[in-house]
Amino acid sequence: MTTARFRTRALTALALPLALALTACGKKAEAPQAEDAAATKNAGKLNIYIWSAYLPKEVIDKFAAQTGIQVNFDTYDSNEALLEKLQSGVADYDLVVPSDYMVKILIAEKLIQPLDHGKLPNIANLDPRFLDKKFDPRNQYSLPYFWGTTGLGYNKQKLGTVDSWEAAFDPKNKGRILMLDDMREVFGAALKSMGKSLNETDPAVLKQAADKLKKQKRLVATYNSGDFANILAAGDVDVAHGYNGQIAEVVANAPDKLAYVVPKEGATLWMDNVCIPVKARNAENAYRFLNYIMEGPVNAEIVNGVSYASANVPARQLIRPEILNDISIYPPDEIIARCEFLEDIGDATTLLDQYWTEIKAQ
Amino acid sequence: MRAPEATSTVDFAPRAIARLPPASPRQRGSVTWERRLLGWHSLLCYLFLYVPILILILYSFNRSKQTAGWDGFTLDWYGRLFANDLILRAVKNSLIVAVSATIFATIIGTMVALALARRSFRGKGATQSALYLPIIIPEIVIGAALVTFFGVIELRLSLWTVVLAHIAFCISYVAIVVRARLAGFDRSLEEAASDLGAGPLDTFRRVTLPIILPGIIAGALLVFTISIDDYVVSSFVAGVGATTLPIQIYSMLKVGVTPEVNAVSTLLLLLTVVLIAIAQRLQQDPTPSLSKGARKK
Amino acid sequence: MPEETPRRGWASYPLVLPTWVVLGFFFVLPLVIMLIISFGQRGTYGGLKAIEDLGAYVTSGDFLANYKRSIEPLYLSIYWRSLWMAVVTTVLCLAISYPMAYYIAVIAPAKWKNLLLGLVVIPFWTSFLIRTYAWMLILRTEGLANSLLQWSGLIDQPLNLLYTDFSVMIGLVYGELPFMILPLYASLEKLDLKLLEAGNDLGANSPQTFFRVTVPLTMPGIVAGVILVFIPSIGQFVISDLLGGAKSILVGNLIQNQFAVARNKPFGSAIAFELTAVVLMLLFAYAMYTKKKGQEVLL
Repeated sequence: MTTARFRTRALTALALPLALALTACGKKAEAPQAEDAAATKNAGKLNIYIWSAYLPKEVIDKFAAQTGIQVNFDTYDSNEALLEKLQSGVADYDLVVPSDYMVKILIAEKLIQPLDHGKLPNIANLDPRFLDKKFDPRNQYSLPYFWGTTGLGYNKQKLGTVDSWEAAFDPKNKGRILMLDDMREVFGAALKSMGKSLNETDPAVLKQAADKLKKQKRLVATYNSGDFANILAAGDVDVAHGYNGQIAEVVANAPDKLAYVVPKEGATLWMDNVCIPVKARNAENAYRFLNYIMEGPVNAEIVNGVSYASANVPARQLIRPEILNDISIYPPDEIIARCEFLEDIGDATTLLDQYWTEIKAQ
Repeated sequence: MRAPEATSTVDFAPRAIARLPPASPRQRGSVTWERRLLGWHSLLCYLFLYVPILILILYSFNRSKQTAGWDGFTLDWYGRLFANDLILRAVKNSLIVAVSATIFATIIGTMVALALARRSFRGKGATQSALYLPIIIPEIVIGAALVTFFGVIELRLSLWTVVLAHIAFCISYVAIVVRARLAGFDRSLEEAASDLGAGPLDTFRRVTLPIILPGIIAGALLVFTISIDDYVVSSFVAGVGATTLPIQIYSMLKVGVTPEVNAVSTLLLLLTVVLIAIAQRLQQDPTPSLSKGARKK
Repeated sequence: MPEETPRRGWASYPLVLPTWVVLGFFFVLPLVIMLIISFGQRGTYGGLKAIEDLGAYVTSGDFLANYKRSIEPLYLSIYWRSLWMAVVTTVLCLAISYPMAYYIAVIAPAKWKNLLLGLVVIPFWTSFLIRTYAWMLILRTEGLANSLLQWSGLIDQPLNLLYTDFSVMIGLVYGELPFMILPLYASLEKLDLKLLEAGNDLGANSPQTFFRVTVPLTMPGIVAGVILVFIPSIGQFVISDLLGGAKSILVGNLIQNQFAVARNKPFGSAIAFELTAVVLMLLFAYAMYTKKKGQEVLL
């Protein structure tokens, strides 16, 4: 066979399965959108940028069917990634979901626009306990989406009842401790265990916290911000620092073995909020979506699908009891009272980063 | 793709003469144990390469959602995969990006490798240094630089910004691999061709290209591999709806390794195995008598 | 054998023009912007701090603040550790890959070559992250490795394999193998076996033939492989995070932290550019060295 014929044959043979694969994926992925486009020429689009697994697909599909709006959604895994995209000015999103401290930054950097409460009648459904926070007074720019705590998941069969951060600093648990790979959260744990605020900026106090963490390091098996719940469930560690939603899920699968606690010294209360970027081209559709997800039944569907707590009052009647009554997901007021939000600590971040590097480098 | 079966009249021409089928060394008994050793070593290496893959495939059938333990066999995840628009969209995007990037980067990279290997031109040193940058500079810096740059020139992020980014950093890999292949290339073959009346394009097509083709293919394979698995740069420059597979997988992994992710990886694996098998089939010379005859020479 | 005189002429330019355009516009230019940023200061919210007096900023040397900070002892120890790790990874990769590439390129029957090569690459067309998670499954306390070792009676208690330097090394070598095998293959494939024969005929035994004929002839492939493995190894961070338990901080993590957590792009860029400068200098030194020895410049 001549080289030329071989080449053509090779290319065709290779191209054929590839093309088939592409069309297969393409058809499936475009079908829903094509239908929407045909159904509603002018309803427009909506581009959502949100944390992974924060929004069940069914909810989006129902919204798209109801309104004819074509919804695209992409996910991110860190606030800083979101910030980077928005700062570039060329990301085309209409709805984003930053965490508490990031909302403040986005406001300062003028990357999100004020919300017109007049267009959002369903705000009345929101729990006032979660409104009007320091990072966005009077909710001018954001509305709460999910909230939760950062505490300790632990193996109660092995350790009994744990109620303090000291479990994560206890030499008896050497090699069986997991901490989040998150500078603020880990320092937060240390600071809380010392009775200080999460947002401490006093260099002397920060140094003390850093020393405590340096001593802790040899007790730590791993720092991990993604898979902490599974690592606990797999039995690789006995104490896992982590966010309540994921830990609650593994606890529900092994309630005799695992448990979650918000330590008595206090912990982080985090809240993720919906905002509309300044450069959003489909702001009106974003408003429609916001109203939609603040409806009781819709919100309940979201919570039931994701197992994180929302700030919606009417939704509570439709949320599954296992979730509603799970104090890891919906903690009572006394627990909330001993938590605080993380706030941006400005220039102290550089000092903290220095300490973090030292801790990791030793 | 074999080099033209030409014999050289100069028996000890030290550089890339068309390879004759390896006759003598194989027949020598004294090197058999070395060959066996190498064979075993390679087998072990292949095992090393494939153990995680086998685990990956195995767990795509795992009933349990967590990576904790084996819970039972199920095909559920595959079914859910095909209903999962997000993953399908991501696969499609990844394929588009990887194929485009491979084609363009391979062509451009081969061209510049040829120029660097044989020609002298102004800016040669700078070009060589610039070609190393994509390999040296950490991906996060590349990603941040690109997204800032796109912001400055006000180019909206999309799937095409991902393609551009990939082509940009893949050229270097092709250039390096092809360059290695070109080193020590025996020009006398090309001179012989032109002496026989072939024009430069013809010489390239029929003499040079076949000889460097293994290098080009190696480079293309490398680039495809890099592109299809790139997370950091892609995550920075992807626009709306441009989520590629690594980004999608990463976000799914954050919430616990769902076997759906394993399922899609397994299927992709299957696809690539099929492609390679086809390529392999085409390698088989359909005129076996000729090649056998050549071997007996 | 020294390469023939490179040809001059206008025909070079069409060959390099696409590279200049693509690389220049979508790579060098963005990096220049980053370079400028590296001389800036971190703004309160992670952007850039506005500089009042540009003149004073430059003349006082303040603009080098990030670079000065990056050579403090804390950071130097991090660079040293990263360098060391990259060297070990590269050496291991080379040791493992060479025999394998040799086997595929030289010994294996011609019709299996593409298949064998493809088999090398196929695992790497699956997600890097999933492969790394698979290694975690294998190496963890109740994972495959420990189960196997205990079942075979070799050990009683499970070994602590995960979250160690050992697991990081496995992950690194594993991830970089194709980058070493492919260039080696490309170089070995064109090895003229008659030269090896000649060596044998002249009385050299196998090791001698290997070191004095094969290795020099395949040096381009070796260099390409070393470059393609060593350099990315210095800057990697995902493997040390996942398989190493994020307990060590390498240059890659450091830079990653600056960009992703500390929101200190200027400092992060400064470190990245220093890393680049050092590596470029090494490459340059190597190029000078080979040129001096009259060998062909492979870069």
